[in-house]
Amino acid sequence: MARHEGPVIVFIGQPNSGKSTLFNAIAGPKAQTSNFPGTTVSHTHSEVYFNGQVLRIVDLPGTYSLNPADPAEKAALVHLFKETPDLIVNVVDASLLSRSLELTLELLETEQPMLLALNMVDLAEKKGIKIDPEKLEAILGIPVVMTVANRGRGVKELLSCCVEKLKTGSSPRAPSWTEEVERSVDSLANDLPENFCLVANRRFTAIKLIEAGDTFCHEILEEISQPLKKRVEETRHHLESLRHLPAYEVLAAERHHLAMKIFEAVAKVQRGRKISGEEKLDSLLMHPILGYPLLLVIFCLFFFLIFFIGSPLEQLLLRPWTWLQSWVHGLSLSPPFLTLIDGLLQGIGGGIAIVLPYFLPLLFLMAFLEDLGYLARAGFLLDSLMHRIGLHGKSVAPFVLGFGCNVPAVVSTRILESPRDRFLTSLLIPFIPCSARTTVILALIAFFLGPWWAMGFYFFQLLIVALVGRLLTLFIREPSPGLMLEIPSLKWPSPKIIISKVRYQLRSFVQFAWPILIAGSLVLSLLQLAGVDVWINRALTPLVKGILGLPESLGVTLVFGFLRKELSLLMLLQALGVDYAQLPEVLSRTQLVVFTAFISLFIPCLSTVAIIWREISRKAAVFSMLLNLVVATLVASLGRLIL
Amino acid sequence: MAGQVIKLSEAPQGKQLRIVDIVGGHGLRRRLMALGFHKDDLIERNSDALFGGPVLVKNLSCETSVALGRGVAQKILVEVLDGQA
Repeated sequence: MARHEGPVIVFIGQPNSGKSTLFNAIAGPKAQTSNFPGTTVSHTHSEVYFNGQVLRIVDLPGTYSLNPADPAEKAALVHLFKETPDLIVNVVDASLLSRSLELTLELLETEQPMLLALNMVDLAEKKGIKIDPEKLEAILGIPVVMTVANRGRGVKELLSCCVEKLKTGSSPRAPSWTEEVERSVDSLANDLPENFCLVANRRFTAIKLIEAGDTFCHEILEEISQPLKKRVEETRHHLESLRHLPAYEVLAAERHHLAMKIFEAVAKVQRGRKISGEEKLDSLLMHPILGYPLLLVIFCLFFFLIFFIGSPLEQLLLRPWTWLQSWVHGLSLSPPFLTLIDGLLQGIGGGIAIVLPYFLPLLFLMAFLEDLGYLARAGFLLDSLMHRIGLHGKSVAPFVLGFGCNVPAVVSTRILESPRDRFLTSLLIPFIPCSARTTVILALIAFFLGPWWAMGFYFFQLLIVALVGRLLTLFIREPSPGLMLEIPSLKWPSPKIIISKVRYQLRSFVQFAWPILIAGSLVLSLLQLAGVDVWINRALTPLVKGILGLPESLGVTLVFGFLRKELSLLMLLQALGVDYAQLPEVLSRTQLVVFTAFISLFIPCLSTVAIIWREISRKAAVFSMLLNLVVATLVASLGRLIL
Repeated sequence: MAGQVIKLSEAPQGKQLRIVDIVGGHGLRRRLMALGFHKDDLIERNSDALFGGPVLVKNLSCETSVALGRGVAQKILVEVLDGQA
């Protein structure tokens, strides 16, 4: 990265401390946010103009400490040093100050220019915690700015404080520990060879060498010389003999006690306050018995709301479109030209009238549930169910994200600690009906056969996820590490943030998905004109007609479903040469269900395959495609037999 | 009950508990520590999910709530204190 473009400011903090919300409040919606620990799994860059100065801001994945435990945390650590920041902004959840300070103390050890954004002060006050920022500033030796990122409060102050701090550039001093521990660490720091490649400073490097046992950073231990390795071992033994604890725990305990001491000095905790509405709601959502029916109700409500908003909207939007189409047909244009115009209209109109009506309410509801913090709660409730399919509750978050889009869902498997869980979860994600497939299900099944059919279809798909998971774990037997998932406080979502999230996703739909829909429809028109579609259809006849029992002309729509699943829906109409409303006249109920099931399950869409390839492995991507194809064929032919 | 050292997975709900030891591998100890659970911390077992699901544990000293799988909860030894949480 070129350094001359402006100072680099890095946002770092513990998961769910609101780094990304703060980042978005400054840079506009760019980073994914939700009320679930570990939503940001890779870093996001942005350039911000403030008071005539360019600031380059980097949002890093949340990390509990600088001793990473999963790939997302390791990315945070690596980038913290790779970006060579001019300023570190440590974002802290004020309602969890005492724990968050442990990371702050660790960051201070790097002795780089730094400031503290004390975020969610409103939530802290609700919990009865009152913090004295001036006192905190004095103890830590760095500026402290109070912010409420989701309401945009304190953002300007934070930026001016950053600019001010960049001017002075003064570095804080690392906090010192108990004398005997300090002496041991210092002596190792002094013994590091002159030419040793230091990270941040001598003392910090020594600390990391001591701590790097079985973390993700153990590689550095392999690279150092034998005498130094011995010296590190000696120090570890010395520390262990001091406290009768593993060396890294000795250091962690030092930070912990220091953090507690600072917390007691700067915060007043009011006990016995009234229980807030959110807490009452929370105990209901997490209730060991009532929690489950509520989960079901929320799930059904989610589905029905989308349908009851989407379907009237769809009918309303379809009307002008059908009118336009029949008007074009009445113009007596030459047949090749008419076919092309038809394809174009199908692509543009289908995107607006058939896809958007369902996609839009889905985005709103997803954003609401995400920001409320319900995902982690669903993870808690569903953990034992997930165990049955060989995973644990932490995989619920990638799964739930999968209902929106499979691509970020696969990326988010980075929050899982074990490679085995990541592999398994990414193989199962493509079976989750994403928003594109939900649209297809709603537009074909719910619209023509009724919402209960669609609901059943949806549940059936989830059943398939469970069955495939159960089956796969028979072959991947390695046990999954247990669940350790932070449950963040329930937060009432801010409408402003929900709207900006929806707007951001809508923009990416218009920019990326819609052009594919239009281009795909046009290409189909061209193929029809050239007569190529007949060849593709003929080649696929054994599958389409033989196994699935669908009209032969649908073969080509399946091929294009690989690009985007909604494309198959639009192409279905085009290939059969009918209007949306006439569909039941040419396809039977069974055929509708079989087509939807097959489209929904057969190989994941192109972007999903690409992301599995990149995130997991080529083998996983190929395997995933084969697995989906087999399952889709089985399910669809089963559907044909039963219905 | 008071003063007795038991596994967290067997501890009563709604009572104040003190972490006596975490008898797991390094990975587990590190993760729990990062989540804010240390030896001697006061915690409370709040709720259990059905079907042998995870337990919901709140750390009383730093206000964090975490869901811990049964396997993890078995590795945390706690002492039951007299006071209600």
